[in-house]
Formats: sequence, structure tokens, C-alpha cells
Amino acid sequence: MLNFDEIFVTRNWFGKPVRRDADTRFVKGEGSYVDDLNMDCVYAGFVRSPHAHARLGKIDTSKAEALKGVLAVMTGPEVAALTKPVGARAITRPARQHVMATGKVRYVGEPVAVVVAEDRYTVEDALDLVEVEYEPLPVVVEVEEAMKAGAPLVFEEAETNVLLHDTLTHGDIDGAFRQADLVVKEQFRIQRFSSTPLENWAIIAKHEKGTDSFVVWANCQQPGRSIVNVCGCLGIPANKLRFIVPDSGGGFGIKLALWPYIVSQCVVARKVDKPVKWIQTRREHLLAGTHTPDCVVDLELALKRDGKVLGLKIRDRQNDGSFVHTAGIYNLIKFATMVGCYDIKATQAELMSIVSNKAPTVQNRGVGKPAMIFTLERLMHRAAVQLGLDPAEIRFRNFVQPEQMPHTTPSGEIYESGNYPETLRKALAQIGYDGVKKEQESLRKQGKYIGVGLSASIEPGTSNLGYYYTSRGTPEYMGNAEGAIVSMDYDGNVNVLLGSVDEGQGHATSVAQVVADMLAFTPERVTMNTHMDSLVSPFLGHSGCYANRFNDVDMGAVIMATKKVRDKVLKIGAHMLGVPEGEVRLKDGAVCSAAEAKKSAPFKDIATVAYKQILLLPKGVEPGLKEVAYYKNEIAKMPGKEDFNVQMTHSNSVHAAVVEVDVESGMVSFRKYVIAHDCGRHINPGIVDGMAIGSTVHGVGTVLLEEFIYDENGQILTTSFVDYMKPLAVGLPRFELTHLESPCPTSLLGTKAVGEGGAIGSLAAIANAVEDALAPFGVKVTSLPITPEKVMRAIRETKVI
Amino acid sequence: MHKIKVKINGTDYENEVEPRLLLVHYLRDKAHLTGTHVGCDTGNCGACTVFLNGKPVKSCNMLAVQADGADLMTVEGLARGGALHPVQEAFLDKFAVQCGYCTPGMMLSALALLKSNPKPSEAEIREAIEGNICMCTGYQQIVDAIAHAADLMGQSRSA
Repeated sequence: MLNFDEIFVTRNWFGKPVRRDADTRFVKGEGSYVDDLNMDCVYAGFVRSPHAHARLGKIDTSKAEALKGVLAVMTGPEVAALTKPVGARAITRPARQHVMATGKVRYVGEPVAVVVAEDRYTVEDALDLVEVEYEPLPVVVEVEEAMKAGAPLVFEEAETNVLLHDTLTHGDIDGAFRQADLVVKEQFRIQRFSSTPLENWAIIAKHEKGTDSFVVWANCQQPGRSIVNVCGCLGIPANKLRFIVPDSGGGFGIKLALWPYIVSQCVVARKVDKPVKWIQTRREHLLAGTHTPDCVVDLELALKRDGKVLGLKIRDRQNDGSFVHTAGIYNLIKFATMVGCYDIKATQAELMSIVSNKAPTVQNRGVGKPAMIFTLERLMHRAAVQLGLDPAEIRFRNFVQPEQMPHTTPSGEIYESGNYPETLRKALAQIGYDGVKKEQESLRKQGKYIGVGLSASIEPGTSNLGYYYTSRGTPEYMGNAEGAIVSMDYDGNVNVLLGSVDEGQGHATSVAQVVADMLAFTPERVTMNTHMDSLVSPFLGHSGCYANRFNDVDMGAVIMATKKVRDKVLKIGAHMLGVPEGEVRLKDGAVCSAAEAKKSAPFKDIATVAYKQILLLPKGVEPGLKEVAYYKNEIAKMPGKEDFNVQMTHSNSVHAAVVEVDVESGMVSFRKYVIAHDCGRHINPGIVDGMAIGSTVHGVGTVLLEEFIYDENGQILTTSFVDYMKPLAVGLPRFELTHLESPCPTSLLGTKAVGEGGAIGSLAAIANAVEDALAPFGVKVTSLPITPEKVMRAIRETKVI
Repeated sequence: MHKIKVKINGTDYENEVEPRLLLVHYLRDKAHLTGTHVGCDTGNCGACTVFLNGKPVKSCNMLAVQADGADLMTVEGLARGGALHPVQEAFLDKFAVQCGYCTPGMMLSALALLKSNPKPSEAEIREAIEGNICMCTGYQQIVDAIAHAADLMGQSRSA
């Protein structure tokens, strides 16, 4: 592996808060999101099921088709007849599903028919004219009902609603529980929620008649896999699909699985022979796609009297709704993260992916880790209270110590770096832990209830993609990698293309900083088109913006391709200067003689030789200055139940929250909030801070505000931002950040995951603070969200939130 | 169909529109000013915020016909003569932009605040952008950017 000092020639830009001038278009209103692309499109819309579970009868499209401006109406069964079923990834039971409803509908909002018309408004008119007969079926909403004998089946062919059921045991779990002085257990319920990117899903599909091929523009987060899935469902070879991802208005995982809609849109685009645009409405987004699964988690900790945790058991029942493609994924990620920051030697995970008549689920920010760390850190708090230990102390006694790194967890996850005790010490110092405890006592006498909560969390990055086959056999994808093309152009400037996409993280700026320091010039001379185009972008099946992988494999690919360009530039430059190759260096955008600095060949002159005056090239050197590199993280193990690393880098954090609970209204407000964070080296601290705070606010929404509520008929009651509430600027604390830097030894830059951490660590910190505040009332927090209504009911009657 | 006349960012427009056409769709699809975004259906998110006769409005909550005769400004009208507006500079300086989707509406709400209150407190800033949802930043860098914009605008006034 290239070492850090070999990568950089200068250190002028790496690690500095370089302004995101590469994204100036966004402040000018000149971004190009899918809906901004103007190519004489017609518009699509979907007739959606009003029933949670029903047999699909006759669909009469004649009135809609007769409406002026309507170009086509296709039903779910018609689309199904022209496409192949959706592939499953993690589940082990057979379950057949198409991209639109056929035979029956399985959730409210499932697409039943697609309408194409000349403008958006006519589409809406036509949707009302499609008449669909439904024969309602019994509904399963919550996991307990879905698991009952004789429960209505969401997928009859599976003969059960539990589509994945596996138990993974590592270490001597029975011994751990036998030797325990204390077993602490709790059942937690975590709600359905979503990170709801501000831009909804958006797709344009165009059929090219001459070649019988498709061009798609979509705000898809994972083009590498989506291309495979779309081609698979359409039954076309990869060379019949050109896939383009322009600017995207946020992702957070929620745009990983919009590809089923690409499939249906390609089918109608072929029929109408015009580019078809579909812009999802917010209501559709909240109604039908896609959510974080809700879950019921039973967790048990086996402890010695001194607080040392001997073993940990989880029984995870996850409500994966009705999308076979992603069902089971969250279970397996929870399993991989279950020991958190602690040195626990024995674990057992009983995992169940349960289907229901709720909406599809997808990998939302943190994927299972928010729920896992929430339950673990809730129970650590509870254990401390029961043992009479300080919640900070019990964590110190169980942390993996810095000298143990690299540390392998019982199931094979390798924690390569980090200083967990120091992270907690920093958080305690910043929050003023001892002072808050004293203040708590005096305020209680005045009838004010404040509490402090801690949460130590692991923030993994770069998924080893075979993980979801752990229960199934041979993986379709393994490991993780990315591709990059780096080229120096005629002017001696550098252009970068990645196989991946940007969801708003400022990749172009981070890349420009690194490339500038590798080539001893300035970031302004590096441009990166963050749009992905399968015709030119160097993508792999792994390509996409997910799993905190940018700082690892994306950057790795950029570095390796830049290194190739640099080697060639040095070779040509040395030849032009008449100096031996080993005696030149890079300075100010030129190759210079090490002995005689005045003797230099600017990049522009080198490019002239490489592209135009090719007879002046050294012998054996190819013309041109464009290089491709693919970079993979080397520590990925082959998937297996015994010894497997699901993620390959591990950042960590401690969140510390001080809250006040108004016991008259049930409102929770923040007094102070500290994030002590270690994501290794920072490429751009301005970007890192924004990601850490932004993801923490996703956690605040999860803990206090957001919930997709279903009634007993499977009707979703929260389909607008009026009833599905998001955090606003008012009501949030000023987040105080404090950083550690434990460089990652397995990524080229020592960088690690950043982006998901806040959404993982914040949940327990806030919940622990609420429970601490309400200790005088004996109130326990076992569910999310913590709404004022639940707080008041707990204080007055139930004692349980 | 109704004929409407509006001025947008100093330019006159005249179009035939359906009475039910939302102002935001008029701006995006008829005037081809796509900097104004749509993030919800209910007037909550503020991505569609524009100025109508000098006051901020949510253009998804208005019909185009209601804007007949109005003087509108969209995000495209902020920069003048190639120079970014101080609010735009401040958003870049303070990393207040991530995905960029809320940014146009957020900047116009910020500008509306700074016009009436040139030196707002942090609490006033947070209150002023309560009608704009950002999913990426957690707002802190946006709040800092608006305070910074107040300083930049103050400097240019005193200069």
C-alpha cells in the first residue's frame, strides 16, 4: 500500500477547510437536478393502491386513455409481463415480486398503473380516471401479528412472513451468561422513519429506437448495482442501457433503490417513444418509498459485578415491509455492529426479517447501526444504574483499548484504529459532566428536570458487500472498490471522473485538494464532474455513494490514477529537461530539475508533448495523459458465518447530551450537546463538521419527532411534513464538536467513515439523557420517538416511554 | 387559459397559463428558471421561496395567475454583473451548502431577514428560517452563514 508520505508532494490543501467553489452553481440556482433537465419530456405518474393488502381485479384504463393529452396507460400486470421479477439479496425464503403490483397489492401506495401524458397536470387528471377493482385481504401490520400461526401471508410462496431467520453465535455465550453476576435485558421498539432527502426521486427514461436501447437520467445513489438490476428486470444486456446521474438533492440511502421505477419507466418510454419524466411528489415519497424498517429488539447483557460485560444476546425482529430486494439487510448489519466500542467476547444474534403490509424499506443513513447502538447504549446506561456505577465508568471498563488495535470482534469485524477512552474523556470534559450532575440536583429542588446522556458509538464504513449473503451462500458482489479516471488536459489542468456519485458531500472539492497536493499545484486547476455517465465513468458493481466509502475506496482510486498520471508527467518532464528521471521533482505545476530549479517544464508544455508533439516523447511512452485506476480495500474477508468483516473502516464517537424535560408539557429541549468524534484524518474540516452535525440532526429527528404511523388496517397516517415532522433550525442546540485523529492504517489517507456517525450515536445519548432527567419519576425509555404525549403518559401512568 | 405578465429578475415575461398552474411550475417550466425547487406538496419545506414585490413567498402555495403584474425575484436574480451576492458568498464561506437543493429558498429567506433586521441574533436567524427545511446540514453552518452575510452586507453598506 502506498504510504501517506509517498502520496503528497505538498501539504498546502489536504486537511484545510477549502471553500467549495467547485459547487458555486448551487448558490446561483444553476445546479442540474433531474427535473431541471429540459429535453421535451412527457410526464409519468402512478395510480397507487389505497389498500394495504388486496387481490387486484380488473383495471379499466379506457377513460384515462380517452383524456386529451394522455399518451399511454400501462397496468402493473402489463408491465410485469414485459419484465423479470425483482431479485432478493438477504432473505432465504422464496418471494416473487415485480416492479409494479401484479396479482395483488401488498402495501398502501404500491404502483398499480402508470400513466403518461403531455404535462404534469394532465397526468394528475388521468390518474383519477383509472378504475381499479380490489378485493381486500386480511392485513398484517406489526411483527407480532405477522409471526402468528395462520397470519395472512404477504408472499404465499414463502409459506411464512419470516423471510430470513438465522442465529449466529460467536464465543462461549452460554458460559458468559452462566458466569454473569447480573443479566440486564430489555425489549426496545424503534419506529419507522426516513431521512427524506429534500429532492424526491426523479427519473427520465428515453428509448432510442435506432438501437433499441435506453438512456436513463436518475438521482440514483448506487448506479453500479442499479444498472445490473435494471438490465436484469428489463432482460437487456448492459450495452443497451446508458445510465446518467446528474446533481442529486441529498440521498442518505433513500435513493439506493429507486431502480424499480426506472424499469417501469423504461417500459412506458419504449411504448410512447418520447423521453418520459417522473418526479415523485413528497406524498408519494413518504407513502411508498422508502423507509427505515421498524423493529422490535430484545437485548440481553451478561455482566460481572464490576461492570465488565461478558456476553451479549440480541433477538431482532425487523419489519421489512414488502420489498424483497432489501429485506434482511438491516438484521445483518446490526449483527456486525453489535458489540459497539466494547471488548465483549461472546455474542449471539437471532435475526428475523419479517414482511408485512407496510411500505418498502431501504438502507437509510447508518443502516441498522442506529438501532443497534441505541439498544446497546441504552442497556449500558441501565446496567450502570443497576450496578451503582457511573454511566461513564462502565464504558471505560469495557472499551476496546487503543493498544488492542487492530482488534477483532467475536464475529470477525476488524477494528483497525481508534482511541475510545480518550474520545469519552474529551466528551466528558467538553460537556462539563461533573458540573451537570451537580446542577441536576439543585434544579430538581426547583421542579426542573435536566438529565445528561452518553452514547459511545462505532461508525463503520466501506461495506464488504457479500454480507447479506451470509445466510445464503455464494455472494453476487464481494468486497468494495471504486474506479477513477484522472487526466491532464491540453492546458496542464487535471480532470477527474469517478464511478460513484455525489449526494451533496462536496466530493469535487475534497478530490481537488488531494490531487493538488499530489501534483504540487492548486485546487482551482482540478475539475471533477461529479455526474456519473455509464458511457464514460469508470464504474464497478459497487459504485455509489453509500456506506461511508468515499474517504476510503473512492479517494483510493483517485490517488492511484493520479499517481499514474504523475509518474508519466515526471517521465516526460525529465526527458524534456534532459535530466535523469530520479533527479526531477514537482513544483508549482511544473517538473523541475532537482539540481537546477530554474530548469523546469510546466505541465502545459508536458501536455503539449503528450498530446501533440508526440515525436518528442521518450522512447516507449504512449501519447496522452489519461489514466484509469480501480482501488479496493484489501482487508475484506470472504463472506462466511464464522469469521467475516462486514465493514472495513471504523470511526467512533461519543455523543453527550444535556436535556431538560418539561414535566408539564412533556417537551424535551436541549441545554448542551457535545460530539467527540474520531474519523481519522480530515480532508476538509469544513465538510467533516457539516456531515457530523447534519447526521446528528437526523438522529434528533429520529429520537424526538419522526414516525411513519400505520393504523390497524395498514393505512399510513403520516404522508406530509405537517404530520411527519422534520427537525427545524428552531429547537436545535448549537452542537459543540471536538475531534480526535486516529489515522486509519488501511485507507491510503488515514481517513475513515464520516457521514453516518451522528445518526448512529445520537439516539441513545438523547434517550439516556431523558431517562436520567426523569429518574425521579421512575420513567424508562424503551421506544422511539420520545414524543410529548408519550412522556406525559409515562410520567402520569405507565412509567414507560 | 389566462394571459399573465410578470417581471422576473428585471426581465418581462408574458405567457398564456392554465388558471391552476402553480407559480413554482410557471417559474420552472415556462420561464425556465430552475433554481427554484420543489421539496414538498404542503408549503412546509421552503425550497420554492421567491420574492414577490419584495416579500418572500412560497411559490408552490400560489397560482401563477395570482402573480399577474408582480415583480418577482428568484435565486437567479441574486448575483449581479457576475459578482455573487454577499449571502451567496457567505453560504460558500461557511459550508452552508451540501446538496444545494434547499439553498436557493434558504438564501432568499435569509435575505428577507437581513433586509428587515441587518444584525440578527442567532435566535432571530433560526426563527427566520423556520419555514425552510434543510436535510443535510443540521442548519448550524447555515445559521453561521447568515450571521456572516449580515457582517458582509454591513461592511459593504459602510464602505
